Amino acid sequence: MIQLITRRLLLLPIVLLVIYTLTLFLAWQIPGSPLDNPEGRQPPAEVQAAMEAQYKLDNFGTFYWSYLDNACGTKWLRETITGEAAANAQAAVAAGRPVPIRRVFDLGPSLQYEDWKVNEIIASSLPVSIVLGGAAVLWAVMVGVLAGVVGAVRPGSLADLGTLLVALIGISLPNFVVGTVLLLIGPVLLGIGTIGSWGAISDVIWPSLTLSMPFAAYIARLTRLGMIEVLGTDYIRTARAKGVSPRGVVLRHALKNAFLPVLSYLGPAAAMAMTGSFVVERVFNVPGIGKHFVNAVLNKDLFLIIGVVMVFATMLIIFNLIVDVLYRWVDPRIV
Amino acid sequence: MWKLLIPVLLVAAGLMLAVVADKPAPKADLVVINRGDINTLDVQRMTWMQDLRVGVTLYEGLVVSDVFTWGFDKKPGMAERWEVDADKKSWTFHIRPDAKWSNGEALTARDFVYSWRRALLPDLVGDYINFFTLIEGGQEFYDWRKEAIRTFSAESDGRPRPAEAQALWRETLAKFDEMVNLKAVDDRTLKVRLVRPVAFWLDIVAFEVLSPVYGPLVDKYQFVDPITGRLNFESEWTKPPLLVSNGKFKLTEWRFKRDMRVERNEHYWNQAAINVDSIAFPSVEDPNAQVLTFQTGNIDLLTDVVPDYRAELLARKRAFYRENQAKYDELRALGLDPVAIDRQLPPDPRKNIHTFPGFGTYWYNFNCLPTLTDGRANPFADPRVRRAFVMAIDRQNIVDNIRRTGESVAYTIIPPGSLDGYTSPKGIRYDPVAAKALLIEAGYPDPSKFPTVEVLFNRDGGHDLIAQAVKRDWEQNLGVPVRLDQKEIKVFRNDLKNQNFMIGRAGWFGDYGDPATFLDLNQSRDGNNDRKYSSPVFDQLLVDAQNEQDPAKRLAILTQAEALLVDEDCPLIPIFHYNLVMMFNPDTLSGVSPHPRQKQHFYRLDKLGDGKGAEEALQLPARVAPAGSRGLQAVPGGGK
Repeated sequence: MIQLITRRLLLLPIVLLVIYTLTLFLAWQIPGSPLDNPEGRQPPAEVQAAMEAQYKLDNFGTFYWSYLDNACGTKWLRETITGEAAANAQAAVAAGRPVPIRRVFDLGPSLQYEDWKVNEIIASSLPVSIVLGGAAVLWAVMVGVLAGVVGAVRPGSLADLGTLLVALIGISLPNFVVGTVLLLIGPVLLGIGTIGSWGAISDVIWPSLTLSMPFAAYIARLTRLGMIEVLGTDYIRTARAKGVSPRGVVLRHALKNAFLPVLSYLGPAAAMAMTGSFVVERVFNVPGIGKHFVNAVLNKDLFLIIGVVMVFATMLIIFNLIVDVLYRWVDPRIV
Repeated sequence: MWKLLIPVLLVAAGLMLAVVADKPAPKADLVVINRGDINTLDVQRMTWMQDLRVGVTLYEGLVVSDVFTWGFDKKPGMAERWEVDADKKSWTFHIRPDAKWSNGEALTARDFVYSWRRALLPDLVGDYINFFTLIEGGQEFYDWRKEAIRTFSAESDGRPRPAEAQALWRETLAKFDEMVNLKAVDDRTLKVRLVRPVAFWLDIVAFEVLSPVYGPLVDKYQFVDPITGRLNFESEWTKPPLLVSNGKFKLTEWRFKRDMRVERNEHYWNQAAINVDSIAFPSVEDPNAQVLTFQTGNIDLLTDVVPDYRAELLARKRAFYRENQAKYDELRALGLDPVAIDRQLPPDPRKNIHTFPGFGTYWYNFNCLPTLTDGRANPFADPRVRRAFVMAIDRQNIVDNIRRTGESVAYTIIPPGSLDGYTSPKGIRYDPVAAKALLIEAGYPDPSKFPTVEVLFNRDGGHDLIAQAVKRDWEQNLGVPVRLDQKEIKVFRNDLKNQNFMIGRAGWFGDYGDPATFLDLNQSRDGNNDRKYSSPVFDQLLVDAQNEQDPAKRLAILTQAEALLVDEDCPLIPIFHYNLVMMFNPDTLSGVSPHPRQKQHFYRLDKLGDGKGAEEALQLPARVAPAGSRGLQAVPGGGK
């Protein structure tokens, strides 16, 4: 187990480096300058050039390395060791100027929202997305497993067809339709939760329910398939023959094994729910990270694009690791 | 099985905790959804309308425009009085003795010198640098600093030189004092000398970007870069609780793309002018959700209504007016502003939507260069051809049947009625027969042989619908072949900048209350002259206007200049004047200005009936609009 974790964690930076290179390469191809103001007014040419130089936007190679240097903390480390930082601070103090702020891991500024650093943007929006995505996964597991079990116990029954239908709707209806309908039912009709705010428990219900739909549907089908297969195996027949109650068979014996495919799906599902909620965030006005994926690309906000992509990649890798660990914990036979 | 439940329960408990810890703030006195997200609260760097609207609640300049007067009358702000010398160039502003920052510190003339100096630095990349270079020596200082940074950077060659960089900064400060004619004579007297008499100088002084920032705080976040010598600006200080400002409100909350909250500034000199204790600005991105939020009563004002169905909402309001036609006509004859009229009509949710004429115009640019970027001859270099194309567009049709949101047809660049004392020229009307004749006269007897006209516009925003209408008009009325060229915004912008177009969509919002804010764009050397229109006559008229001391004569010259643009040379085709569609209940909210210059000062907002503030419904002085003017367009949606 420890070995698995160490190996994965050692691989993490390499995978991230590859993703970073690809992302930057693609983002660099977006036409137009990241410093353009879409409202039409342009800074003077020499100012634009100076800014491009400051952010190293004039050259792909320089940008590539300087971003890595800032984001990984090597610049901070180097400046500390060589005494460059100290010299700079000393000069500032001597001149009566403030000592420059230094960040260990600096993901750069947002080029669109000048007052915000990418660090700050991620720090404020990621927790929101984790809460929303976590709640959605919770819904998805509860609803999905329940529906799957009900369907599998009596295949072909009305209950089975019903859950199949609901699952089908959940998977095929796009989020913005489900979201808008739930928005009208929840806050507008029932008065539970508010539109355009975030913070109360009631604000989480509707967006997380919307977000959970496709996941729940998929989990329901996975559980049903797994259950049907497991319920036909010898050991279940043995358990039944021993006189274990039907409920005991389903919950204690069958579900445990049928849940394994669901578990392996949960890793990417959790990462996806926590970062890929652009539509839901927009409909319910949730201040999460999903919107930055799309907006950053539209604005060619280079630092923000890389920042959110790296966050997503890291989460994906970590969730997969967690799932693998859980897997072994649930079923110690798996190596 | 229970083993499986443990993680689930853990996650659930964690979520609960996270949500409980994240408590929303108590409801504010006023809740406003302000167009888009705030880009910056650094007042010297503001450009966007939504930023400026919040800026004016947090900061206050020397003088303040009264948005409920027709001429945007100037009222004392941080300056209690001011005077100008006989040469109309030297201004003296007297700071009021009770001027304070939101932390209680006294505000002095030196704070203005600090802030305006900051704005004059090329390092800051302010969009409104042109306002500050009106100060004597400003341009020279800007150029000197630019050059100094360039040299320093070159000499460094990537090597950090912290001590030298600091020395350069000290030199810059000394240079500013030496070169720029902006002086704090004492704590309460600010003297500024301009390069020339500027008729609209007070309007510029009232502009948000000329408000002061709190130096002792801001300076802690400005660092001298040891390699380039530039000043690097960090913006931690624009967030609460750090931000110190001098306006009617202070910032108490700002979370990125989430919410912002301002509260009464107890140190502001005129407490009586503050109508509410707090204003919240939640960030709601989805246009649909914005309207729903208003309709469910969670907000008091939605500043920009953008969903497609707003045309239907406006149609409902027209129906409401029709039901009250007699009363409506009577109020309109009194010259009341549209909100004042609404207030006198019976309560009805249909009246909560409002359209106000905006201080901006939507137009099409002609590329006026003799050749196109690909080397082809440009047929639009000939003003006769341009005029024919202007004449051939049925703009009333575009406004009535395509936009359907109550804009008025534009025949001029400057929205008529928006500038007190300015007479707009007539402009060219729709006349397909004359258009065709003019095209033949210009040397195109067979219009089908005319080079294919390429119309460049950007995706989204309904530009495609307008382009289609224009294409149809030109094809039917002139018989020329037309091709539509839709591009992504960044590419579109790039093409416009580099004259890589024949005809391109454009638009502009005015910055200050003078025709120059629109006309300057057409000067030969202006950076925003994408058309590359170049007319010595026009340039000379603008210079003449600058030199004219008599305000009425000056405006007459500018009318002449605009007439040259819209009646004769036609470097652009005005299509419609923008308007703003807002939602608020006029019976419970006052302070939204219907003035055609569309500047909103949120601190004027007052919730009627809450017992706080002045509790009077603000309105523009009654003025009966001449027939056909757009000043008071009370029936949204135009004629149909």
